[in-house]
Amino acid sequence: MGTSLKLRVRFCFNLLLLVIMLIAVAAFLSSCQKPRNPGLLNIGLPEEPRSLNLWLGTDANSRKILSQIYQPLYRRHPETLEIIPWLARENPVFDKKNLTYTVKLRDVKWSDGSDFTSEDVLFTKQMVFDFKIPRYYSKWNIIKKIEAPDAHTVVFHLKKPSAIFMSRVMTVPMVSKKEWGTIAKEALTKAKPLRSLQDYEIEKPLGTGPFVLSEYKKGSYIHMKKNPYFFGRGQKIGNHLLGPYVDSLLFRIYGTSDVAILALEKGDIDYYWGDIQPGYLKDLKELDSIDLYFNKKSALYFLGFNLRKPPFNDKLLRQAVAMVVNKEFILTRILQNFGTPMQSVIPSGNHFWFNPNVRKYEDGKTRDERIKSAYGLLKAAGYSWDTPPVSEDGKIVTPSDIRLPSGETMDDIVILTPPADYDPKRAFTGTMVQEWCRQIGLPAFSRPMAFNSLLDTVKGKHEFDAFILGYGKLNLDPDYLRSFFDSKNDKPRGWNMSGYHNLKFDKLARMQTTLIDEKKRKVVIWKMQEMILEDLPYLPLYNPYVIEAIFNERFDGWVSKVDGIGNIWSMCVVKPVDSLEE
Amino acid sequence: MPIWIRGLPIDVRGRTKGVFMLKNHYVQRFLQSWKIFIENPLGKTGVIILFVFMVMALASFVVPHINPMYDPMIGIDPNISISTGPSLTHWLGTDNVGRDLFAQLLEGAKVAFIVGLSSAFFSIVLGMVIGMISGYAGGTLDTFLMRTADIIMVLPSLVILLILSSLFGQFNIWIIVFIIAIMRWPAVSRVIRSQTLSLKHRPFIEASKVAGASHLRIIFRHIMPNVLPLAFLYMTFRVTSAILVEAALSFLGFGDPSQVSWGMMLQWVWKSGNMFHAPYWLLPPGISISLLTLAFYLLGRAMDEVLDPRLRKEGRA
Amino acid sequence: MRNQIYILGKLMEIVIIFFVIMTVLFFLFRLSPGDPVSKVVDPMLTPEDTQYLIEQMGLDKPIWEQYMVYLKNCSTGNLGVSFHYGEPVFKIIKERLGWTILLFTSSTVLAALVGVFLGKISAWNKGSRLDNILSISALVCYTLFIPWFALLLLWIFGFKIGIFPLGGILSPELWVTNSSWFARGLDILHHMILPLITLFIINLGSYLLLMRSSMLGVLREDYIITARAKGLSEKVIRNKHAAKNAALPVVTSVGLSLAFSINGGALTEQIFTWPGIGRELIFAVSNNDYPLAQACFLLIALVVLLANFIVDMLYAYLDPRITH
Repeated sequence: MGTSLKLRVRFCFNLLLLVIMLIAVAAFLSSCQKPRNPGLLNIGLPEEPRSLNLWLGTDANSRKILSQIYQPLYRRHPETLEIIPWLARENPVFDKKNLTYTVKLRDVKWSDGSDFTSEDVLFTKQMVFDFKIPRYYSKWNIIKKIEAPDAHTVVFHLKKPSAIFMSRVMTVPMVSKKEWGTIAKEALTKAKPLRSLQDYEIEKPLGTGPFVLSEYKKGSYIHMKKNPYFFGRGQKIGNHLLGPYVDSLLFRIYGTSDVAILALEKGDIDYYWGDIQPGYLKDLKELDSIDLYFNKKSALYFLGFNLRKPPFNDKLLRQAVAMVVNKEFILTRILQNFGTPMQSVIPSGNHFWFNPNVRKYEDGKTRDERIKSAYGLLKAAGYSWDTPPVSEDGKIVTPSDIRLPSGETMDDIVILTPPADYDPKRAFTGTMVQEWCRQIGLPAFSRPMAFNSLLDTVKGKHEFDAFILGYGKLNLDPDYLRSFFDSKNDKPRGWNMSGYHNLKFDKLARMQTTLIDEKKRKVVIWKMQEMILEDLPYLPLYNPYVIEAIFNERFDGWVSKVDGIGNIWSMCVVKPVDSLEE
Repeated sequence: MPIWIRGLPIDVRGRTKGVFMLKNHYVQRFLQSWKIFIENPLGKTGVIILFVFMVMALASFVVPHINPMYDPMIGIDPNISISTGPSLTHWLGTDNVGRDLFAQLLEGAKVAFIVGLSSAFFSIVLGMVIGMISGYAGGTLDTFLMRTADIIMVLPSLVILLILSSLFGQFNIWIIVFIIAIMRWPAVSRVIRSQTLSLKHRPFIEASKVAGASHLRIIFRHIMPNVLPLAFLYMTFRVTSAILVEAALSFLGFGDPSQVSWGMMLQWVWKSGNMFHAPYWLLPPGISISLLTLAFYLLGRAMDEVLDPRLRKEGRA
Repeated sequence: MRNQIYILGKLMEIVIIFFVIMTVLFFLFRLSPGDPVSKVVDPMLTPEDTQYLIEQMGLDKPIWEQYMVYLKNCSTGNLGVSFHYGEPVFKIIKERLGWTILLFTSSTVLAALVGVFLGKISAWNKGSRLDNILSISALVCYTLFIPWFALLLLWIFGFKIGIFPLGGILSPELWVTNSSWFARGLDILHHMILPLITLFIINLGSYLLLMRSSMLGVLREDYIITARAKGLSEKVIRNKHAAKNAALPVVTSVGLSLAFSINGGALTEQIFTWPGIGRELIFAVSNNDYPLAQACFLLIALVVLLANFIVDMLYAYLDPRITH
């Protein structure tokens, strides 16, 4: 037994030694990390960007990188949201008679020092047309031709007047003929031109933006340096004196948001370019070194109905559901007050186009009042129950066995939502809508479904009763109302997912695209919103804030705009804290 | 060569004799075994932990009736809209929408039992039937079944479940149970097969063959009772792996969203961003998963020793 | 001659199994509900754009044709182009594989060494308090819920104490400056410690228990009794006679337990942002990047099959009866 005791002692000792050594090594390693370069802005990315090839990297994370490189002719003012010149020198000159826009270009250089000229604009247009670039081509279709009278002038000839020309065409990023010319020529000879263009590996994207790519270590980081030829440096554009004032950007890729937020609290990164769940706020608020930003989002989260089949082909039933849905609850509980309830299908932050006078369904009423109103509406429409939700003496009870006006029993209603890991808010909203529907006797079931299957069911096959979805990045131009509700788009994979058919609406929707006068267009857009909120193909639910956080000890001067502080303006004006004090 | 159960070895040498004797004096034998079993420190610990969780699982049926706000899925405390720590009304605190965490923990215990036991049961039944058929029939069928078992045995089950659930959309809990069972039968069937092989040529099997018993009758009447105790032993190990896989799947967000489970609780605390400042929410489900799986594992180890007299004797010496 | 036939047979078996897995995988991916198109193509596109993209990706061809193309490409080592990254799958896998191998082999070797050592001690002192403590800790290691444990480690050591980095494989600020190779190596090592500990602990439990039971079996064998009778010292018996023989099944079991380690490995990589195959697979699966998910899975299957093949060979070598 003596040996075993000795062994035990020795073993424990060895173990202790090992642990101490390990801690010592770790402490040594963490202490010997070099002090950071003061001009280096550290940014956390939630996921690996898809690609640095502009034509493939259309996901949110690739855009964060590529938008520092490829620049459009015009972009939106961060505060007023007006479209202002960027690569262009001034606002375009519109010739009403000939339907032409004439654009003058600034003296801009590509990041390799060569000139950006009207040739490059022509080339970009040629690429969009040759490859039928998704997203762009359908918008650029209205261009009859482009001319370049001289190196700094471009003339766009349109086929017909268009209200969305400025917002959808002029904001497309420009590419250089030097970088893409030979690639495009080669790709066009292939059997699948677009695919081979997208598969082309771009190591050093050539752009005109404030930063250029320096190094990309897959799975770890992306390092970008200041572009010495950036046209905006020292210029005042959109009320901001542009820099960039930092030497380089370091994008670090994090796999999970909790780790990224810990890194932010620790000061490893200066900004986390991703959405922060409300749960983290309690901790973040307590830290002096963290500043929080809450910005409105150009987004639409809604409950969509299938108008093609019973039971939701009945407008009154949809309205009854709208009455029992408690947007206040969604806002306070699910969004934890970080958001706004959605009144119309255009977010209230989009002041100009948003119509505040659309029909409201029992907003601010109590649960009992809601149920009574919905019950009254349905009863008048001929629906019947074995046990109605409101008893004869006016009490709210658990209803049973609702019947359609035709006398048939109602089949189960399935509310499809994205899964909780994709978006916990929408999944939980689904559960709540289910409960609210049951209060008036609808046999509702909320079913989370993998996002792609959900889209296929709703958008492709049209086999559903109701669904909860959201558009996270709505364009500020309200032309999307036409896409969503024009009866022409009610086809497999078309955008009119609800199957909304209203000839009056179609007429207005098509008319507004040609109204260049914004005031006239506004009247039409307001009317369209009223129709949607009356007919309810979509019931708008909520609009969450973009919650972002920065580490404030090293950099300052972030630019807030719709959709948050992660934008090119911030990158151009953020300054090291020391230089601000000087 | 030891037989592997999810990366863990079970020594099966010298088991045959002990098992075979169990057929006679069943009740007496059982009581005797139970005594040995409960005297075993591993077994005792396992039984105690299991008992606690069993009480929790049963309590999950009662709690929502005390107050509707204790419903684990849809019950919401009207006064609370953020995650709060333990209090008198909420023993473990609430989650970010005001649901009671203790109620969720109880519900999770129930679900863990359902998932663990049922998928273990399915996989044992499957493994036993295939093992017996394979061992009894021999030849090509045997080779085919055992090769299939080989393939399935080497595949990482979690990865497969992930691929399947992303392809086929969110699964409900029973489909998850079923898939885990399908991924988990091969190891059992190998053991049962070798057991069957050794039984096949015993005199009493030969005798019933001569007497004209059908193959099915021989398999289910004569072989099955003899391999049943062994199958039961394996069931306890299967429970462990099923609970862990379901929890991992739920944690990654591919679980059944309409069902509260421990993995789901962890997913919620993770996804809602409360991970690092709500220990009252993060710790209980994780510890529960470990404890419950540990309990089943201890039970299995103890049973193993009961069924193998040789091990027992040495353990006492 | 007999040996060669045996080896050849085993190899044939692997090829067939691999082919079966490949085929099953292809049809699983293609026949799942929801047409493949909606999984690949951005839902925000107009129907015309969608149709155009489908043609460009070859998804409009009949499924048999796609299958033949798939087989042909696989046999020539062309695993296709990732839908998501737009890069050859082969290249992506090549980038990720090194990291996984680094983490996996080091943690497995470490866990096996320590597991054998502790298992030996545990079995030798069977029934003692040390044995109980070791067995119970091994069981606890084994039943730990991996992602939970990994996050806890990250929080305590990465955040609260702060001596380890918060995931990732390197500190970018060190790498963008001109640092020495030595500093870079140390940096990677520093990042590796937490995921290494996680995987180590998960694997340790099973190796310890295996070694313990294997050692207990060996201690019952006649030659140990003989050795004792010969009057050899306990230490010699333990280390020379018993442990050596008992460790064999542990070494060969690395192949068999690989499937289990891969589950844990994927979860660990996911939590620690370790850019390896497991994390890439989870990512590909959630983004419906078929070519990439397929390739990752095929790679994992191949590694597992090969490891088991090697185990079979080892056993045949150690125990010649098997080939007969």
